[in-house]
Amino acid sequence: MSDPNAATTPVPFRGGGFKPERIRFVGLAVFLALVAIAEWGTRAGWISNLTLPRPSDVLSTFRDLYDTGLLWKHLIPSLTRLAVGSVLGVTIGIGVGVIIGLFSMVRAGLVPLVAALFPIPKIALLPLFVIWFGIDEGSKYALIALGTFTPTVVATYGAVDNVDRTLIRMGQSFGLSWWSIVRKIVLPGALPGILSGLRISLAIGIILLVAAEMLGAQYGIGAYILEAGSLYDLERLFAGVVILSALGVLTSAVIGWVEKRMLAWRI
Amino acid sequence: MTHLTRRGAMALLGGAAALPVLGTPALANTKVTVGALAFTSHAASFVAYERGYFAEAGLEVDFKFFQAAQPMAVAIASGDADFGVTAISGGLISLAEKGATKVIGGALSEEKGIDGQKILVSDAAYQAGITTPKLLDGKKFGITQSGSSFHYMGAKMAAAEGIDLNYIPLQKVPAVIGALKSGQIDAWAIVPHIAKPLAGSGAVHIIGDVADYIPDYQVTSVFTSANNAANERAKSAAFLAAFAKGAADFNAALVDKTAGDDAAEEMVKLVHKYVYADRPYDKAKPGIVNGAMRINAGAALNTTSVKDQLDWFIAEGLIKGHITMETLVDPSYVETM
Repeated sequence: MSDPNAATTPVPFRGGGFKPERIRFVGLAVFLALVAIAEWGTRAGWISNLTLPRPSDVLSTFRDLYDTGLLWKHLIPSLTRLAVGSVLGVTIGIGVGVIIGLFSMVRAGLVPLVAALFPIPKIALLPLFVIWFGIDEGSKYALIALGTFTPTVVATYGAVDNVDRTLIRMGQSFGLSWWSIVRKIVLPGALPGILSGLRISLAIGIILLVAAEMLGAQYGIGAYILEAGSLYDLERLFAGVVILSALGVLTSAVIGWVEKRMLAWRI
Repeated sequence: MTHLTRRGAMALLGGAAALPVLGTPALANTKVTVGALAFTSHAASFVAYERGYFAEAGLEVDFKFFQAAQPMAVAIASGDADFGVTAISGGLISLAEKGATKVIGGALSEEKGIDGQKILVSDAAYQAGITTPKLLDGKKFGITQSGSSFHYMGAKMAAAEGIDLNYIPLQKVPAVIGALKSGQIDAWAIVPHIAKPLAGSGAVHIIGDVADYIPDYQVTSVFTSANNAANERAKSAAFLAAFAKGAADFNAALVDKTAGDDAAEEMVKLVHKYVYADRPYDKAKPGIVNGAMRINAGAALNTTSVKDQLDWFIAEGLIKGHITMETLVDPSYVETM
């Protein structure tokens, strides 16, 4: 077996790579470069003001919005709608999802129903919701709640299904009660899946914010964007869109923080 | 009486303005796309097309139908349509400010004595005792969007009555109708051919006329791209001349009713091809006859009314304050008042 040549030929290290590394500020640089190109193009004139607004004008529109206090007038109703609607949708969604995950009878009954509800464009139901829940806040809460409910249910029962069975069997052999197993093994085990599902649910909630404010909203980021669109006021339109994006980044960061806190037990 | 004389003068002036254009040699079959809504208020284009006035002027017209005024303005700006007829909305003015569109003529007008746009209230509000617009203080007034003609009418009415209204944006006309019928909103203002059948059904009630608050309101205008207005004068003038001929036929048949019953019947049949085409003729006829409002002779433009609308948009902060009439209107094509 001992080949003298093999000992003398050095084997280069071929491991490494294929592993995301954390590089700071590159995302920011890409973003800034795009904005700079848009600014340059609109100033130089090869991007017409009909195609894109000038980023600096968007910024000054945003500053006006802040100075006049209109920003809060629009942001507070929107945040309230998003919070109330998604808290409703997410809590009921997690509850239903866990129950589906635990009881086969409920699963057989509800999974097809959820599958039927999921693909319905919630915007299509808005006129109906207006009749059911009134044109004021009720219909907006309901729309966002329904929109966040279905993805949460699907993510939750998927997460419960993926809890390691050997851990459950171990709990059973240690004589834990059913309730103890649910509390100490199933729920913590499902939490990573539920939280990553939440990222999607909340993003859908933000998308639906604009839809919810289509009917009967005088103030709100969605109403502001729709109004800017109908007035063909691109600066306001983009200012509104930037606020929505910021909202998306913010919710994602909050979930990231919650993950860090609640999933610290993971190695 | 001043009305009659002025109207007569207007017709003469409009005719005079159109004459030199008619004398010019026809353009060699220029293709144009005309944006339209399937409303009676767009009848002048339909008449000009069906009776060959566009063809005589050397224009090969294609209609492109839209669901609302706003997308039409955007289509003109993007070059997907050449001419459009619609209400002066905030979007249209913003596009004019960006150098994309220009108003070149007038179309539908409010006129005292001719059934115009109506102020409606829901049945619930009516039962609660709101029988005149003055009692609408603090009530919900339906609009499609901020800066739409509905918003303007509501605001003008509220200012005249010294009341405050809550404007509820509902995006689309059918949504406003639904909300009014179900009592989700209290009031709205709309053209007669929609208002009257609604009131007839008993779900809503007519409590006033828009013309009482905004006399001589220039409801819709003819507009085109800035390029057409500035560089394609022959084409734009030819379009306006043919449009004016269509308008004259329409006014004679259904508004002034000077052309006799046969002509009126024929006109309704013509318009029915485009408006309420999904309903049988007998059912569509009252809607078309009720919807007949004056389309300005010679496509004349009431610049006083347009100025008032522009000032209102600026006062409401819906458009930028530096926009002037020159930005919005090219007055060189038609008579202005």
